[in-house]
Order: sequence, then structure tokens, then C-alpha cells
Amino acid sequence: MVTLFGKRIRLFRPHSIWIRKIVQWFFFLLIALIAVNHTLVQSGAGISFLSSASLHAVCPFGGVETLYTFAASGLLVKKIHDSSLVLAGVVLLLSIFFGPVFCGWVCPLGTVQEWVGKLGKRVFKRRYNHFVPSQLDNVLRYARYGILIWVLYITATSGTLIFESYDPYFALFNFWSTEVAWGALAILGATLLLSVFVERPWCKYACPYGAVLGITNLFRVFSIKRSETTCKLDGACSIMCPMNIPVDSVKVVRDHQCISCLECTSEAICPVAKTVVFTSGGVK
Amino acid sequence: MTITSKPLAIIVLVVLFGGIAFSSVMGWWITESTKQPVTFTEGEFAGQANPADIRGSYTFGDIAKSFDVTPEVLAKAFGITTGEPNVFAVKELEAMNLDSGYEIGTVSVRLFVAYYTGLPFDTTGQEIHLPQSATDILLAKGNLTPEQIAYLEKYTVPLGASAPVAKSTPVAVTTSSTVSGENIVKGKTTFGELLAWGVSQEIIESIIGAPLPDSAMTMKDYASANGLNFETLKPALQAEVDKAKP
Repeated sequence: MVTLFGKRIRLFRPHSIWIRKIVQWFFFLLIALIAVNHTLVQSGAGISFLSSASLHAVCPFGGVETLYTFAASGLLVKKIHDSSLVLAGVVLLLSIFFGPVFCGWVCPLGTVQEWVGKLGKRVFKRRYNHFVPSQLDNVLRYARYGILIWVLYITATSGTLIFESYDPYFALFNFWSTEVAWGALAILGATLLLSVFVERPWCKYACPYGAVLGITNLFRVFSIKRSETTCKLDGACSIMCPMNIPVDSVKVVRDHQCISCLECTSEAICPVAKTVVFTSGGVK
Repeated sequence: MTITSKPLAIIVLVVLFGGIAFSSVMGWWITESTKQPVTFTEGEFAGQANPADIRGSYTFGDIAKSFDVTPEVLAKAFGITTGEPNVFAVKELEAMNLDSGYEIGTVSVRLFVAYYTGLPFDTTGQEIHLPQSATDILLAKGNLTPEQIAYLEKYTVPLGASAPVAKSTPVAVTTSSTVSGENIVKGKTTFGELLAWGVSQEIIESIIGAPLPDSAMTMKDYASANGLNFETLKPALQAEVDKAKP
């Protein structure tokens, strides 16, 4: 750190929250291994020390999908297990305090989109993640709430996991299985392709679970906050934000799309110390 | 209070795995089906397992634990000749019988178990197919009602047939004849194929009661997406396909 024009500036900044990448890798490998082990166990093999739970059992969105059925009858939608409700509760608790950290730190589908996005960053440089006209983008970002309502409605009325046939997350970890519908594989393919142009397209425009967790951004305890007194207004935080949130124009990020990745903070891209921070208190 | 990435990473891991550990202690962390169907709550059969709740993840062995039917009988009924019947998963049936043109899967097992054990099972509005071998076992057991026999006469199919029997000519329950066809409406048939087979867009729309979806969409995906039963759409579509044959 050096002091320049009265401001503390970090000369060598990490640019990225490296520990988040490690956590993302960890959960990607964990879920991949569980999914493979589930298949192996069904064929009589399997790794004994690893969970052989189905993908549905370790997906918190299943807990959301089955809520109506659970409240109405005390039963769970077929293929959903109690563990999904537990995970949904734990993730909701995390989100109330820290926002959608599940999206930014845990969800393997988000992780894979980020990995593919690195290719887009190399090819398109600064144009990457800025292809969608802002007016269209603003409207499309609410589409995931429509999808959420549709998923909840159709699950409640049919009592089955209809969304499985369209779920790219299920396709990602079951593409070798006959259980995966072509629709899900097509949506996964489209998501990965779009990730070359847009960062996290599924999360931004379509993810129904992201829609649920995104609501917690409106009232969460810890938020991204920007100090207006020390901010250089260089726009680095906004450029770095994978969800295109204009961090440099707000004091507190309450955008429903924030995924708490911390990439905009002074710990990563912001060059001025303690200017963009993740805090429960106020900033100057 | 300000949090940086490292404490946040620790919090995420601790809360997630702590939550799982806590729920395990409390007995809430259940990642597998108990493999026990729900029971009838009222009436003559109260307390007995309900065949309608048999899941695709159940093995024949799981079914045998809840119902008075052995894995060997189930294997014989559904033509499973290889492997250990006890560990055969019900959901594998559908993939095995894809080429037959009929959906013989979990719902077929439910019907078979219900008829075999004499438990109630509602078939209203459903076209549930059973292979000939299953029907033979049920008829031999001799505890079917006339209505159930009539249902079987209508929906029994020859297992492993390369083409389904036309709906208008159901297989007699004591025979195993097959009728061949060229354009067969299956779960994986797309709307584009229907159009290519000569069924007009208007007719398709009148059957599905909605505008024609993407031509690449399969029947099964469409039915799933709209909360419909493919088996209820299939006969009407097949009839139109048959009509459109040159």
C-alpha cells in the first residue's frame, strides 16, 4: 500500500477473490463426484466413503419446488427428499445475512458459466458481457421471476418435477444418463454458448432459484457498500461486476442480481482501500 | 462489521456443512427415498401400502417388501431375464421398452402390483400398458374383476414388439399377435415429424388445444411441460397419422 494524493492505494492488487475460486472448484468437484457415484451405485459399484445421493437430494431448489406440496399435504414432490428442504433452509439463512452467496460461491452451474466466460473475455476483451442492449437487458433480467412462477405453479399442479426436463444444472451432472431430457441438454448447450458472450446468462435471465435468492438482496444484513468520500469514480467496480451492476453509482448495492462474489470490492478490483466493502455497518 | 473473502468462505462452508451435520443429528438429513410407499389412510385397505406411490427408484426387491408380490414374479411379468430381479430398478423399464412404441414403465408396475395384490388403483382417464407376460400372470392368478379384465384386453401389448398394435385393434389378452406400422407416434416423436407425416398444423392444434409448439419439441416434452399425459394425446394423434398415410 502507498499513499497517493492523500489516498491509500494498493500497488499490487489481486484483481480477483482467489478463495472464491477454490470454494467454487470444491463444490463443483463435490457435486460431480456425488453425481457420478450415484450412477455407479445404481450399477452395483460406487465409492463407499462418498455420498451416493441423487442430484435432486443435494439441490436446494428442490426444497423451494416442493414447498407448496409439503405445506398442502405434508408430502414431498416425487424425487425430492428431506435434504433438499434442509439445504433450502440453510441457503436461505446464508442469503438473509450475506445475500446470494450460494450463487456466487457454491452453485456449480454458475461456476461452469464463469469458466466458459473466460474464453469470452479473452476473445472480446472489454466488449465481453456488454453485448445485450441495456434496455433489453433490464427487461430480460426479470424473466427469471416469470420462470420461477411457472416452475412453482406447474410443480404444484402436477406434483412432479416438470422443471427437470429443462434444468441445465440437472443436465450438466447427468448428461450421461437416460434420465436427462433433450430440452435440458439443449438449454445447457445454449447457456454454455451464451456464456462466451454474456457472463452468467442463465443466472441473469433464467435461473428461478437465483430469482428467489435475489430477493434477499433487498434486505440482507451484509451488503456491498461504497464510500463516496474515498471513491475515485474510476468505474472499476462496475466493469468488474459479472452481473453488470453499476456499483460506482450507488452507495449500497441493493440490486436483485448481486451474487456477493466480492469481485467489486477493495479486496479485489477497487484500487482504493476500504472504499467498496462488504459490511453490515455504514461507510463514510 | 466488515467481512472479507476469507472469513466469508469459512462462513459459507461452516454454515452449509454445519447445517447438514445438525440436520443429520436431528434425523432430518434424508437423501434417499425410504422405498416405502404411502399407505391408504381410510376404507377397507387402510394401513396397507398404496401401489400408486411406487416410484421409479424402487427396485423389485423394494416393492416385494411392501406388497405381496415377489421380485421373480415382477421380473417374469416385465420380461426381465438377466441379472438379479431383486435389484432391478423400476425406472429402467421405460428405457428398455422405448422401441416398443409404448410407455411401459413405473405406472405399468403400479397397475400390475395393484391388480396382482387386489389393491385399489384408479385408472380413470389413463391408458396404462402392460406387456402380454404381465397380463398372463394376472389372468392366471384369477382374482381380476370383469372391468379389470376388460381394461387389460384394451391395453395389453406384446413386449419387445418392433411396432405397436394399432389402438383400434387391441391385442387379445390370450394372444401375442403383432401389427406392424410405419409412422408411430411415440414419446420422442417431434411435432415436425407429425407435420412431415402429413398431419396438418390445424389438426395438431385442435388435438393439443394450443398453438403448435416448436417443431423440434417431442411429444413427451410437450406433455410434461404442459402437465398433460402423453398417453391421452397419443391415440388421437396416431389416428390422424394413420389417416394421413398415402
